[in-house]
Amino acid sequence: MKRWIVIAVVIAAAALLPLALDARGYWIRVLTFTLLFATMAQAWNIIGGLANQTSLGHAAFFGIGAYTSTILLLKLGLSPWIGMLAGGVLGGIAALIIAIPTMRLQGHYFALATLAFGEVMRVIANVWTPLTGGPGGLSVPFMPPSFAGYSFKLLLPHAYIALVALIIVTAIFEAIRRGAMGYRLRAIKENPEAAEVIGIDTTKVKLQATVISGVLMAMLGTLYAQVAVFFDPDTVFSAAAISIRIALIAILGGVGTAVGPILGAFFIIPLEELMNDLLSSRAAGLSQLVFGVILIAVILWQPRGFITVFDSLRARLSGRAPS
Amino acid sequence: MAFLQAVIDGLLVGGVYAVISIGLTLVYGVMGIVNFAQAEFLMIGMFVAWFAWAFLGLDPVLAAPLSFAVAFGIGWLVQGQLIARVLKAPSVAQIFLTVGLLIVIENGSLLLFGSQFRSVTTSYQTISLSLGPLFISVPYLIAFAMSLACGVVLWWFMRASWFGRAMRATAQNPMAAQLMGIDTALMYKIAFALGVGLTAFGGAVILPYVTVFPGVGGQFVVLMFTVVVLGGLGSVAGAVVGGLAVGVIQALSSLVFPIQLQNLVLFLVFILVLAVRPQGLVGASR
Amino acid sequence: MIILDVRNISHRFGGLQALSDVTFSVPKGQIVGLIGPNGAGKTTLFSTLVGLIRPDSGTVQLDGANLAGLKPHKVAALGMTKTFQNVALFAESTVLDNVLTAGLLRHDVKTARSEALICLDRVGLKAVAHKQAGNLSFPERARVELARALCTGPKVLLLDEVMAALNPMEMQEIMDLIRSLRDDGITLLVVEHHMRAIMTICDRILVLNFGKLLADGPPEQVANDPQVVEAYLGRSMEARK
Repeated sequence: MKRWIVIAVVIAAAALLPLALDARGYWIRVLTFTLLFATMAQAWNIIGGLANQTSLGHAAFFGIGAYTSTILLLKLGLSPWIGMLAGGVLGGIAALIIAIPTMRLQGHYFALATLAFGEVMRVIANVWTPLTGGPGGLSVPFMPPSFAGYSFKLLLPHAYIALVALIIVTAIFEAIRRGAMGYRLRAIKENPEAAEVIGIDTTKVKLQATVISGVLMAMLGTLYAQVAVFFDPDTVFSAAAISIRIALIAILGGVGTAVGPILGAFFIIPLEELMNDLLSSRAAGLSQLVFGVILIAVILWQPRGFITVFDSLRARLSGRAPS
Repeated sequence: MAFLQAVIDGLLVGGVYAVISIGLTLVYGVMGIVNFAQAEFLMIGMFVAWFAWAFLGLDPVLAAPLSFAVAFGIGWLVQGQLIARVLKAPSVAQIFLTVGLLIVIENGSLLLFGSQFRSVTTSYQTISLSLGPLFISVPYLIAFAMSLACGVVLWWFMRASWFGRAMRATAQNPMAAQLMGIDTALMYKIAFALGVGLTAFGGAVILPYVTVFPGVGGQFVVLMFTVVVLGGLGSVAGAVVGGLAVGVIQALSSLVFPIQLQNLVLFLVFILVLAVRPQGLVGASR
Repeated sequence: MIILDVRNISHRFGGLQALSDVTFSVPKGQIVGLIGPNGAGKTTLFSTLVGLIRPDSGTVQLDGANLAGLKPHKVAALGMTKTFQNVALFAESTVLDNVLTAGLLRHDVKTARSEALICLDRVGLKAVAHKQAGNLSFPERARVELARALCTGPKVLLLDEVMAALNPMEMQEIMDLIRSLRDDGITLLVVEHHMRAIMTICDRILVLNFGKLLADGPPEQVANDPQVVEAYLGRSMEARK
């Protein structure tokens, strides 16, 4: 119950915060990306957290979404909202294509296979220039501002769209976690053989989770395209900047919990921005280095993520032992 | 004819790929973890050899043992302080520990050495021997010979030495090995340090024909993983077979595809093997 | 009416012939004991029946439905499930959640929860419903596993050594439970090493040795079968009589 209060506070703050910031400015951009990455991490959380399948290839869906809506806009003038739905469908298909060969893989093997898929998409996007613009990337064409056309003069609406997306994806995550699928995924995680014997179709359940995660991730690609306005294969299909980063965010925050990705994103993204600001002019790579060290530290000392720090703080404040 | 040339080039280069990748498979075979940072040790080996060349005038091929030693030392520390702590943790923790290591090493070297490209010049770099209508590039040949020597030493170590046998015992059954008096923690240290040392050795040996910069590891990651998956994660013999196979596949695909697509061929082989025969061509399933 | 029809089941693991031409049929409502020395193939037979293992040859029919090539979840849906010898609970989940998950086969979450409580009540563990499954004692976990299997609503229930490590009073409770399950219309196959229990509650006993069915009949007949006595029961059976 207390956790919901936290979420509500964060969301309320996130909703009010944009109003306090310069609607065109730098920090609202940071907030938008923070919300977007939190949502992406939440989508990853569905299979990384609930199904316990560490995917390092979610960029594949993300890029598919970004490219689909942008290409449809460029070539057919279709509104990005419709493009987003189309991207979602393609993302779902991609999830099926990825899931089938990787279904029987576990742990490290699964991570490797998904990493490879992400890279395959990146190479294809780089090479298929007539469709994707190749390494030169794509620019989202300027359209007259309208909600239906997903085009705005200010950054503020993008921030609100990202906030709404976060709420929706978090709600989906929780619905899965508390519902029948959540029970089944937990069973599969603990003992796949026993799960089968008591009637759980392990293949179908894992496929469902993967497809949901893929569809959502692809749709978020459209959100990114519309706010970033320009992207290329090495950005949206990036293993390091997208796949690994969102997994990191979920893990640092608390994988498998609804609050984890949100905590993780609100910690990492603004901190990254700050460090890039302060350090990058003097030493490229220092901010990344610090993150690598933080990641290692968290894995070694608080593998359940920041959320355990948060939990023990909360428990200590109320005088109970940490759970 | 171009086909035969490609096969020869592929085999020579493949031998090196084998040495580079053996470390990855060794670590998985003994400890059950995939070291996502393995390619970074390739970069470390290359940098050590480059600095040895730049400041001591050492030919990279002669500096290879030095690269091995440096990587061995770093690996020893890393295993003892970091990896050892997650051996019993869930796979996601293991995966992200080595991913974190990757980030730290790559950006650390970016800070230390800067992003510029560095290469060496050796007397034999551009020489090729001719064998009838075919050419054998001397740097490739020397790299292959060094790899072969390395392979032989490794083979002797694994088969004949006490340490090698103890490591194999630990790989097969850690509990039983412990009961027989084998210090498994020490075995893990040796395995990891040896594994990254071998990769660094390979790095030094390819320096005559590859340019080094902090991100060079990324160019070899797919390759290394394809090699070990093809041969079977955990099988050293498999890494040899996989290395030669990948070398040849790469060389042959360069005849047909432009450079960006060559990697795609490797990726697809990689995914195919994982999907159809995850234990690889040679390896046994773990 | 025959509810389980097993014909010529054979299976080989590498060099070992684990099951050899096993054939028997079980009428609805029977309690069948399956005994045999360790390594005889009893657990392998159970795994084959529920679909965890695909036998090299032979057929299994459940209530007329052919189970060939079906995955365990389909077999469970058709009405047959088993418990695991070493107990395969979801240790990180609560006892209730363990059983609830099985109930999801035929019900939604809410109904599954009340069904789960009923099943837990039947095995006498309703009080520990909210404890973490991994924290219970071994006999308690075995009973949770029984409750879980029960919650799938099976027609045929395969119990693999549910009475291991029980004291006589607990054993009596389980025996009464097995009888009451039969009275509810469930057919049971029970693997056990407690001879007295098996002889008491079973209508019929199958004896397995080295993968082959040595004997098939009512308890007294099997107990007196010289082949069985020689292979497995030994002199202790005669002393007990």
